[in-house]
Amino acid sequence: MKKMSGKRKAKIEVEQLTKSFGDLLVLNDISFDVKEGEFLSIVGPTGCGKTTFLNTLSTLMPPTRGRILIDGEPADPKKHNISFVFQEPTCMPWRTVKENVAYGMETKKFPKKKAEERLKYILGLVGLTDTENLYPNQVSASMEQRIAVARAFAVDPDLLLMDEPYGQLDVKLRYYLEDELVRLWKALNATVVFVTHNIEEAVYVAERILVLSNKPTKIKAEVRVDLPRPRSLIDPAFVEIRKRVTELIRWW
Amino acid sequence: MAYETVKVDTPLVLRILPVASVVAFFGIWQGVVDFGIVPNTMLASPTQVAVLFWEKLFVADPDGAVLSVHAWVSIQEAFTGFFLSLLVGIPLGLMMGWFNVAEGLARPIFELIRPIPPVAWIPLTIFWFGIGIPGKVFIIWLSGIVPCVINSYVGVRMTSPTLIQMARTYGATDWEIFKKICIPSALPMVFGAMTISQAYCWTTLVGAEYLAADQGLGYLITMGRRLASPPMVVLGMICVGLTGVAIGIVIERLEKKLLAGIRR
Repeated sequence: MKKMSGKRKAKIEVEQLTKSFGDLLVLNDISFDVKEGEFLSIVGPTGCGKTTFLNTLSTLMPPTRGRILIDGEPADPKKHNISFVFQEPTCMPWRTVKENVAYGMETKKFPKKKAEERLKYILGLVGLTDTENLYPNQVSASMEQRIAVARAFAVDPDLLLMDEPYGQLDVKLRYYLEDELVRLWKALNATVVFVTHNIEEAVYVAERILVLSNKPTKIKAEVRVDLPRPRSLIDPAFVEIRKRVTELIRWW
Repeated sequence: MAYETVKVDTPLVLRILPVASVVAFFGIWQGVVDFGIVPNTMLASPTQVAVLFWEKLFVADPDGAVLSVHAWVSIQEAFTGFFLSLLVGIPLGLMMGWFNVAEGLARPIFELIRPIPPVAWIPLTIFWFGIGIPGKVFIIWLSGIVPCVINSYVGVRMTSPTLIQMARTYGATDWEIFKKICIPSALPMVFGAMTISQAYCWTTLVGAEYLAADQGLGYLITMGRRLASPPMVVLGMICVGLTGVAIGIVIERLEKKLLAGIRR
């Protein structure tokens, strides 16, 4: 278990992030830090601009105002390792499972030998070794999402962004993959920002939760989740935190 | 092995029907000519064509060459034009789909030339190249390049935006995205282009030979008309058809092999 102290170094600093499309103000002056190796969840009501938030964080979209620093430098996908796991599957149908997982390392120009070793290690971690030579259309939807997750972890990301990666899967698979995600995060010591609208999921995986408001989006509250792992969904302390977050969102 | 290919037998009916339809087609055709419903001066019967086919395998008269020579000349012309159109059309279309500069430069000219039927180029071509092979190749090239450009362009445009975003988050450059995401993703469309382009080239070939040639399957049809010989006309048509089918099958095989991952 990693140190849970507040003394960890800030890996990501988001300063006064603002994004508007014409007159529509979507993100309104958002500032927060993510610590090195932290698992941060972001929840908010539907349509609160979560996707825009992630797109700006990943630098796919330039912010209107404000900036994002990684290790004290402005975030740049060519310099920093930013991984993004999208909501929809992003497997290239012309590449095998193995080749799909290797894509990130290939683009980042990892040395061949290091990439091969790491590929083997990651495939083992996510249990894709048996299916490494199949094509994406030969594996299930949940496997496709695991390929994307494996690819994201493989590049040893400075920042791993996840946009409701398990939103479209059934409950049982989701629990299974959430456990797997927590395991990967611990094993690889990654800094993760996990966006979801599923409160239970957020409380289950995260160390800290940021609750977003309705548009124009601001950070409404911050909730620490100091629960031991593996967490239990029926533990009174777990239920208590879940209720608190639900109260904060109140989308009905 | 976690994954197994399942073999499905084609039902008997589906195997018999194609054969039955071909037999019926030739049977009716034979009957129509034999019973004089259509006079023999206007249409040759299948048996007449078959007899002439056998003769033409060995006899060069009256049109100056045996069948294999005609076919070989046509295939050479069509394939030279076809490969040249792939060579120019596919890269051009792919680039137009991804790079704005390429699209801005090439699109207006392409759109202007595209609606002109290739046979309309024949007079100019005769001025430039005479009636030899280069002129016919040029016309065939013009007709083959259109589907190559369009399909490759559309193929790149249809690339999943999420895949492109995914590549960008890993810091891929525009060129790398083009090479590793857009081109593979456009491949099925590009292979579609090959099939269509081949058909266009083959069709245009007959037109090109119709006006300016001294050998080739199209020329055989022209000679059949001049000599008032329906069997020769029909023979030329059938040879064009059969060769076209054969080329189509080869391309389909190639496509299946290369696209193993994309096709289910």
